[in-house]
Amino acid sequence: MELMKSENIVQDRQPQPQEEEEIMQQEEEEEQRFHVLAVDDSVIDRKLLEKLLKASSYQVTCVESGEKALEYLGLLHHSSPASSSSSQHHHQETQGHKVNLIMTDFSMPGTSGYDLLKRIKGSSWKDVPVVVMSSENVPSRISMCLEGGAEEFMLKPLQLSDLHKIQAHLLKSLPHS
Amino acid sequence: MDLVQLQRQFVDYKTSLYHEGFLDEQFTQLQELQDENNPDFVVEVVSLFFEDSERLLNELARALEQQNIDYKRIDAHVHQLKGSSSSIGAQRVQKVCIAFRNYCEEQNVEGCLKCLQQVRHEYSLVKTKLESLFQLEQQILTAGGSFPM
Repeated sequence: MELMKSENIVQDRQPQPQEEEEIMQQEEEEEQRFHVLAVDDSVIDRKLLEKLLKASSYQVTCVESGEKALEYLGLLHHSSPASSSSSQHHHQETQGHKVNLIMTDFSMPGTSGYDLLKRIKGSSWKDVPVVVMSSENVPSRISMCLEGGAEEFMLKPLQLSDLHKIQAHLLKSLPHS
Repeated sequence: MDLVQLQRQFVDYKTSLYHEGFLDEQFTQLQELQDENNPDFVVEVVSLFFEDSERLLNELARALEQQNIDYKRIDAHVHQLKGSSSSIGAQRVQKVCIAFRNYCEEQNVEGCLKCLQQVRHEYSLVKTKLESLFQLEQQILTAGGSFPM
């Protein structure tokens, strides 16, 4: 898709409706920012995570459960992990937005973070890095998640200093030229 | 009280909260996340914590009143409380939650009841102290001061 950068320069143009310009610029900026899908059943942790990620200028979508995450990714009604031709065109895009990183809490009622991880890795989203978070430092849990395909396991509460790890995974996810 | 006195009182009070273990490093992190775009961030997160904790404490009391105590359910609630108190830096509340979970695992009703009382106590202490802190902060802003100082 072409980004009509030059046509958005305001200086020497005829006056245009201010709002339209601003909306277009905003949409462009959003497209260029990394988009993180954050999954956590704690309202406090969602708010914290959102702020932390926004502080790094990432675009963030927060959902409160594994089920909601699957719904967002369009995986809720697929019973088999195989990607059909209809889901191919959804690759890394849903509802018009790409998803560059998924961060999920481990302990959630219903679909756990681990369940979510496995579903993602068995779908057309499998190349999107998944980071699992937990307030508990349990070695067997950590290895289980890493073996399940998680890029990283992070201890909660997350801090500003943890963000560099996230950035590393996001940069890795960029298409190679 | 003039601005300088208020500011000194604020710093002393905040320091004492860390010193006495009511707050830890994580609370500092919250403050670092606050900026001009989100000047009420800390108050908002802490308010969420208050709401959430009160809900959990009520659930816990109810669960412990049952004939057949569902320890798994209790543990789930305590786990949530432990998580949220940890996320805002309410260290003393978090510590009681750790003990609470151990009693749950042992299915020790006496221990659980004792912990519920303790966690209620620690929660109300930290709530009062945070409210006082925010009040001081507001007084400083009203007197023309700003943060960080």
